[in-house]
Amino acid sequence: MDKNDQPVKKRKYGSLSSSAKKERRQLDLMTLPTVIWYGLFCYLPLFGMVFAFKEFTPVPGKSLFTNLFVNSPWVGLKNFSYLFRNPLSRSVILNTLTYNIIFLAAGIAIPVALAIFLSEVHQKKFQGLVQMTLVLPYFISWVIVGYCVYGFLSTDTGLFNSVLKYFGADPVQWYQSPQYWRTIIILLNIWKTSGYTLIIYLCSITTIDRTLYESAALDGASFMQRVRYITIPHLRPTVATLFILGIGSLLSSDFGLFYQVPMDSGALQDVTQTLDVYVYKSLMINANFSYSSAAAFLQSAVGCVLLIISNLIIRRVDKNSALV
Amino acid sequence: MKEITTFTTPDGRSIDGSKLPESLHFDKKSIFVKPEDSSFGKKTNIVVIIVFTLIVVVAFLPILLVIISSFSSEESLTKYGYSFFPHELSIEPYRYLFRSGGTLSRAFLNSVLITASGTLLGLAIMCPCAYALSRKEFAHTKGLMIYLLIPMLFSGGLVSTYMVNTQILHLKNTYLALILPGMCSTWYLMIMRNYFRTSVPDSLIEAGKLEGVTPFQSFWWIVMPICRPVVMTVAVFQMFSYWNSWYPALIYIDSNHRDLYPLQYVLVNIDRTVQSLTREAAYTSGMMNITLPTTAMRMALVVVTILPIMILFPFFQRFLKTGLTIGAVKE
Repeated sequence: MDKNDQPVKKRKYGSLSSSAKKERRQLDLMTLPTVIWYGLFCYLPLFGMVFAFKEFTPVPGKSLFTNLFVNSPWVGLKNFSYLFRNPLSRSVILNTLTYNIIFLAAGIAIPVALAIFLSEVHQKKFQGLVQMTLVLPYFISWVIVGYCVYGFLSTDTGLFNSVLKYFGADPVQWYQSPQYWRTIIILLNIWKTSGYTLIIYLCSITTIDRTLYESAALDGASFMQRVRYITIPHLRPTVATLFILGIGSLLSSDFGLFYQVPMDSGALQDVTQTLDVYVYKSLMINANFSYSSAAAFLQSAVGCVLLIISNLIIRRVDKNSALV
Repeated sequence: MKEITTFTTPDGRSIDGSKLPESLHFDKKSIFVKPEDSSFGKKTNIVVIIVFTLIVVVAFLPILLVIISSFSSEESLTKYGYSFFPHELSIEPYRYLFRSGGTLSRAFLNSVLITASGTLLGLAIMCPCAYALSRKEFAHTKGLMIYLLIPMLFSGGLVSTYMVNTQILHLKNTYLALILPGMCSTWYLMIMRNYFRTSVPDSLIEAGKLEGVTPFQSFWWIVMPICRPVVMTVAVFQMFSYWNSWYPALIYIDSNHRDLYPLQYVLVNIDRTVQSLTREAAYTSGMMNITLPTTAMRMALVVVTILPIMILFPFFQRFLKTGLTIGAVKE
């Protein structure tokens, strides 16, 4: 936090003139609605995390508080040990981790490469056009993306099967064939997010002092040398920021991508079920409060710890690149 | 001016056209002049442009397929499937959508209502808070910052959020469930606070104070007009996120409260929706065995849903770009 955050003179209300007191009170009042909102929608659920350490046995007709704190016994870490012993939830956790690591790597490599090449294109208008088309998917919901995918993969009317039929091959039941879906999901994630990160990296490249490139050109540096010695070192802090944020959500996943895009197909569950889908299903379909909240707690806690650790490590290596 | 911007000085003592704003930097004549900071020759440049054009086209194909399919006749779709080159064009799917009335227009109105009220309410409570945070005389800056940052690191998760919203706040099956939970974000609060602090001269507010202007008045009459760009950026992002949201509807709206469905959620539930549309159409036309062009209609509904985004997108570009890069770009 920077120094400007501190009020210049810390004085108690009592020693201020009445107009200054009124002024401060009005400022306090202006923050009140937000404070209440955070209380209701962030802090109340935060206390609800005790679900993860309880065997939730609600008595109908009682309030949530009595049910949670009086009627439900503490079970310690039982919910968590169940989560790790159950083969289904173990594969779900593994799925989530694998996808996120791939997303993280692809989400850095591809947009950085695109940004480097795009930034060297002579026509600035073309650069703008490319950015704006590639970022469009970012502003489209997964529901819509699901229908775009359906247009290609539908068994009876999908484009892919029409093409297969045209070449005399057998049509594929895409929504029943899990072997294709890892690739599909990874491609979709790249398609939807890389436009956004491309803009960030490109913007970051434009902040590089142009004279560096000019003198490199005078010294006869090749394209690869310029990228290696000027562009990439300058992009490092931005990459680090996005990397830390990505690490922080290593156990979270985009619910829409894994639930809506595969159309909740049972046959694809092994490759499409991630923690968020698992939590949703165990809450809404099996009404299993304790396990799903244990899973949710795990997500939050692991994310928080990883965020802090990766930030610490990056601060050790390169102070400028860390978040705080 | 033109010489500086269009041209490269060979002796290296350039007067630095690159330091000028980009709008000056490239006029029509300069398009085929190689900027001195690019290492691409003319040929490489063209190859890279072609590659990028291909990438852009491929990236746009999925959306294009949906748009083209929505203008195809039902027969050509059932016979030949979705295709970029439909055998027969038709606007029949759209005619059915508009005639089916009831369910869909209600859903469209719901989406508009939720988007508008969510965005406005969110700004109405976030802006004053960001203003207070940006003022030096605000007494609780540090405490409030911590209060706002903790939820960024730690969230209660779906289960407890669901329990709190349904059992304590009683939001199940109400519009409020679709509006309230997404209203504020620490990220936006920080963006606005930083902008308020850097772009409003302190002297302006101090001068106002001498005239007896209260903090709320100076917020409304001085800060808001100056900081319209950042407020618009947040507004645009909130609008898109409300328009695209369907998860709250999935969780909080039961299937017997269909009249609360936003457009996106109608799409999630499309098969059931198509059934009820068929029933509606049968009812209004008096025929029992009516068949709707459902294969094409799905895609038409998708197009209706993304249409507002596609239309507004070019206008909001400026805000989108600042919104995306704010905070993440480090110099």
